[in-house]
Amino acid sequence: MLKRLKKRLPIVSVLLTLSGVFIHSCIEPFDTEGIVNDFESALVIEATITNELKQHQIRLTRAFELEADSARAEREASVAVFDDQGSAFQFSEIEPGLYQSNQVFQAEGSRNYQLSIMTSDGRNYTSDPAQLTQETQIESVEAARITDDDGNEGMAILVNSFDPTNNSNLYRYEYEETFLIIAPDWTDTDLVKSVPNEPDNCTVDLVFTGENDERICYGTNASNTIILTNTNGLDEDRVSRLQVRFINRNNFILSHRYSILVRQFVQSPAAHTFYTRLQELSQSDDLFSQTQTGLLVGNVFSEEDEDEIVLGYFEVSSVSEQRIFFNYEDFFPGEDLPPYAINCNRSAPSFTQPSEFGFFAGCLLSELVAVGAVEYVGPNNGEIPPFGDQGVGPHIVVPAPCGDCTQLGSNIRPSFWVD
Amino acid sequence: MNYKLHRTSNYVRVLLFTIFTLCIFKTHAQERLPSVSLNTENQSIVTVFEILQEQTGFKFYYDTNWFGAEGITKSYTNVAVDVVLKDILRDTDINFYIDDDNNVFLTRNSFVYDTLPENFFGEQEESAVIETEEIETDTGPVFEDKTRRVSERVETVRIGKATSNRNQSEVRLTGRVTDFITGKPVPDLSILVDDGQQGTSTNSNGEYSINIKRGTHVIKVSGLGYKDRVKNAIVYNSGVLDFSVEESIEALDEVVVSENARRNVEIPVTGLVSLEIEQIKTIPLVLGERDILKAALTLPGISNAGEGASGFNVRGGKTDQNLVLLDDGVIYNPSHFFGIFSALNPFSTGSADIYKGSIPVQFGGRLSSVFDLKTKTPNTEKFSGEAAIGPVTSNLVLEVPIKKEKAGLLVGGRGTYSGWILRSLDDEQLSESEASFFDVVAKYNHTLDENNEIRATGYFSRDAFSITSDSIFNYSNRLASLRWNHKFNEKNTGSLILTNSQYRFNIEFDGDSNTDFDLGYINNESELRLEFNYLHSKAHKFKYGISGKLYQIDPGNVDPLNADSEVTPLSIPRERAVESALFFSDTYTVNEKLLIDAGVRLSLYAALGEGIQRIYEENAPRNSSTLVETREFDQNEVIETYGGPEFRISGRYFLNPDLSLKASFNNTFQYIHTLNSNTTVSQTDTYKLSDLNIRPQQANQFSLGLFKNFKDNEYELSIEGFYKRQRNLLDFEVGAQLLLNETVEAEVLQGDGRAYGVEFLLRKNEGRLNGWLGYSYSRSFIRLDSPFREERVNNGEFFPTNFDRPHDVSLVTNYKITNRLSASANFVYQTGRPVTFPLGQFEFDNADFVFFSDRNEFRIPDFYRLDLSINLEGNHKIKKFAHSFWSLSIYNVLGRNNPFSVFFVTENGEVRALQSSIFAIPIPTITYNFKF
Repeated sequence: MLKRLKKRLPIVSVLLTLSGVFIHSCIEPFDTEGIVNDFESALVIEATITNELKQHQIRLTRAFELEADSARAEREASVAVFDDQGSAFQFSEIEPGLYQSNQVFQAEGSRNYQLSIMTSDGRNYTSDPAQLTQETQIESVEAARITDDDGNEGMAILVNSFDPTNNSNLYRYEYEETFLIIAPDWTDTDLVKSVPNEPDNCTVDLVFTGENDERICYGTNASNTIILTNTNGLDEDRVSRLQVRFINRNNFILSHRYSILVRQFVQSPAAHTFYTRLQELSQSDDLFSQTQTGLLVGNVFSEEDEDEIVLGYFEVSSVSEQRIFFNYEDFFPGEDLPPYAINCNRSAPSFTQPSEFGFFAGCLLSELVAVGAVEYVGPNNGEIPPFGDQGVGPHIVVPAPCGDCTQLGSNIRPSFWVD
Repeated sequence: MNYKLHRTSNYVRVLLFTIFTLCIFKTHAQERLPSVSLNTENQSIVTVFEILQEQTGFKFYYDTNWFGAEGITKSYTNVAVDVVLKDILRDTDINFYIDDDNNVFLTRNSFVYDTLPENFFGEQEESAVIETEEIETDTGPVFEDKTRRVSERVETVRIGKATSNRNQSEVRLTGRVTDFITGKPVPDLSILVDDGQQGTSTNSNGEYSINIKRGTHVIKVSGLGYKDRVKNAIVYNSGVLDFSVEESIEALDEVVVSENARRNVEIPVTGLVSLEIEQIKTIPLVLGERDILKAALTLPGISNAGEGASGFNVRGGKTDQNLVLLDDGVIYNPSHFFGIFSALNPFSTGSADIYKGSIPVQFGGRLSSVFDLKTKTPNTEKFSGEAAIGPVTSNLVLEVPIKKEKAGLLVGGRGTYSGWILRSLDDEQLSESEASFFDVVAKYNHTLDENNEIRATGYFSRDAFSITSDSIFNYSNRLASLRWNHKFNEKNTGSLILTNSQYRFNIEFDGDSNTDFDLGYINNESELRLEFNYLHSKAHKFKYGISGKLYQIDPGNVDPLNADSEVTPLSIPRERAVESALFFSDTYTVNEKLLIDAGVRLSLYAALGEGIQRIYEENAPRNSSTLVETREFDQNEVIETYGGPEFRISGRYFLNPDLSLKASFNNTFQYIHTLNSNTTVSQTDTYKLSDLNIRPQQANQFSLGLFKNFKDNEYELSIEGFYKRQRNLLDFEVGAQLLLNETVEAEVLQGDGRAYGVEFLLRKNEGRLNGWLGYSYSRSFIRLDSPFREERVNNGEFFPTNFDRPHDVSLVTNYKITNRLSASANFVYQTGRPVTFPLGQFEFDNADFVFFSDRNEFRIPDFYRLDLSINLEGNHKIKKFAHSFWSLSIYNVLGRNNPFSVFFVTENGEVRALQSSIFAIPIPTITYNFKF
């Protein structure tokens, strides 16, 4: 309930803000330049070491300005995790900003782990010691067809977990969903530009491809929200039907077969507090909000300058995961499939652009084919009429993702996939 | 002021005061007065005047109602006319004055001065001596010129009967000072004995009491706004000496700045600001509202987060640390419309005493200040009223005498027509919405007899907003107070005070989906207080009493608004507590120079069940994982108690008669706290009582000040410094959620506060140009430290509070061009307040997050503003129905776009900084007020 209300309150806040606008004769951009002029790109640490025996990964990036779009990878750092028994696990950069341990290892209980980073500019960072949390297995992950609070119908992914020792209490979830994509307008024939490197040659050829790798693919999304729960105040340490994901029934990812891997992390109190605060801060966005803003301090600190801002968190956490599969038919038997990911409008572009003042203005269809924007469906036997001075061509095409699923996913069947 | 002055030949419609005005500047006494001879046989006094008029050719001005029909029998032969008059009038309360143009003015009770008072602060004693001698020789036929003048000026009274008990050299003089016209008691006038050798001041009932030696004394009642009254008293024994005072010419022009000119230097209280509503009448207005609380903000030491912010920050204190009292009852949110207007009716509000330094012992429960607001005492003499028509609100206050001179009722109401404005807007969304407020106040006073008086006040204010059709947000204050003043005897008085206050807000969300809800918060408190004053002796005045207060808070509930709503009801359990106090203080006059006011208040607080308290592990950060148990308490079971002595000590030392040094120490407890992460009072602030997990806030304040009056009190200058330490201030962890949080204690941090500053105030109270200049340099810091990183803010170091605004300058001036026309200007400059800025974004767990600077690391730009106004008063013709007052004001003449707040929104995945300003352009306003 509280959660639902919190979701509602921002609306109230907006209303209040509106009324604020009415009085506040003026709301306008505020130039922080000259006030905040010492933007310093802080180091951001995403590091979760678990009890899985594997090559663990740590991501290092730099914070970026409010106006900027994306993070910059922190390259060429030396990264290591130590435990208090004298073990050290070195990490190497496998792609920009992503560091992977050179050997497989797993976090073990009753040991303290510490992260140590030296960046390429010679600055040293160390985390607070962290201990592995108790392991609690996911009891089950279930899928259910529900109508959510806002009246939307769809599939809910629910998690159940139980810790009879009553010690876990604080949980964080991640998921990775994989879904089957079948290109609705896939055909065994493709269009190719006849002469690839001649822009003025507008001819195209039909090529038979047969059953290629563009019909069936697998799309994958990772969770991008913070999903937390705790069992404090409950009689027993039981997570019951916690919704980690809701998929609207109109989402194309449900269309055929869907699989989700839910990972449950048991968190330390400090880590849980950090994630909770981070989540709450990300909801703060207006004048009337009652969320206290401020710097959210993690557990990694600069050794040279204690005031330096270091973002992110080093977590040592036990993890348990479970995967489920279901088909659209299982829950929506006989019902229409969700619409495809994009609108598959058919068209029949002419070979050339409409001429300008009688002069040749360039190829059309062959260029669309060359850049991979369209996929062939079939011959235009008058199905698509001419459109204005654009004219009409002999081939019907659709936007590429409708005929080529690799635009939306990978055509490599994941090893875990079960049909 | 419907004086009808009687002239034998015809009626002259002249305002008495106007004549006085002329008189005052004509100070030449008559060189030689004509003599008369007459015999009267039981003729009325009026007839005698007519005879005198004929004989002398003088014109007499008086009101025939002053004299009864009883006759007088007298005989004079060739006696000077003034001697005759004096003899005739000896047994009446009538004084007279003869001017150069052979006019004789008769006045009741008050005296017409033909010179400015002599020896206002002088050392000369002879006048007193001469006056007393004059009593004995009163009947003599001829007087020396000098003696005549003195005797004209001073009325002599005998107090008490001479007794054989000579052992007791000191006797008690008591009395009451009332307004000559309205009959209302006049508080805060100074009673000076023998040119200031001794003194006291009148209390809120206009009463005073002083121990003096037997013998002759010159007793003077003085205070700005009123004419001085002097009486010679031959004191044989304890007795009563009442005064009736007339408003001074300044009062007519309504530029009263303080009722007591010497109060600045005399009282032992540090950090006291007194405001009269009349004083702020000419201050430029915002949207036509004359606002005593807004005026308070122009005084040093009192600030807020910006225009349009409700709440006050007094000497580096939080907005929840002020006890705002209206006629003894607490008002939790004294503001309308997001703080743009104060919720007090300017016409019904009489005065505001703001204690920001030493707080009197009878007040407690808040750390920083007490705003002691008083509603006007209703007029018991005649029906009167005041009304205003402004662009946003209209206002009407009526004073109705219920029983002549005994009982009166004041009722006032004020409301907006913003609803009408909204409806007339083109914008469809806005025109369907509502934003309105109103407040009503009623005060009843009844003087039962000379020993008993009852005062009752009721107050209600309500704001409602519905800017879209989906939501209604409203809040209201309700207050009732009853006070019974009782005089036991000459030395002992007492008051019984009963109050009840309620503050509530409500949000109704009625959209189209199934999530409609109704969210409510209610805060209710009742207090019973018994307060006694014991005038023990000349040296000691005791005040003592006991008070008990019951709090009941319903911190919030959410209910589905209708059957379709799927909102699950949620209710945070009620909180209850009792706050009680025993208090005692002694105002001790050590000697003529040193006055000490020392008091102690024993404060005891108990949080009561029924309720649920969560108990956390000791020495661990409070969060859900360190929760040990949830303990339940039964109805009225004591959950936790807090308390301790609060010392209130202050003193004044006269370095010379116009210069005093004052110092004070003050400590306070506060058991009720707002949950507010914003800088300003937000309307959704809730109050939380101290319980097992939240300790009371505490403050210690030291202040030291120099107070000086110049040029016969025309100028007042004060410089005060303060240093304040606070403990257990409430603040919140980064990311804390405050509304409807069942475990809010897990997000509350309690830390130390430190504030210090110097305040400078120069006031000019009289003359064509008056006003004040205030400047303060003050800082306010808080430290939130903890062994646990998640409970530490800004590395556990002191950082500026949200309202730390070091430089604060206010200039308030009014210039009288003529008696009716005046111009005013305000200028305000303040350092921009601290803010927490988002510094940038970072990627974490596949999402982008904004990260913020350290708390309050940056400041928004400085604030400054100039307002101007022109005020025109209607003329003062007697027969005119009403006295009008026009005011044209321009707020923010410079059009300065002062950022009120800076905030951040995420639009299209991009974070943008926005600033809001309340009045970014000059706002002109015309207001029309009239009094009848």
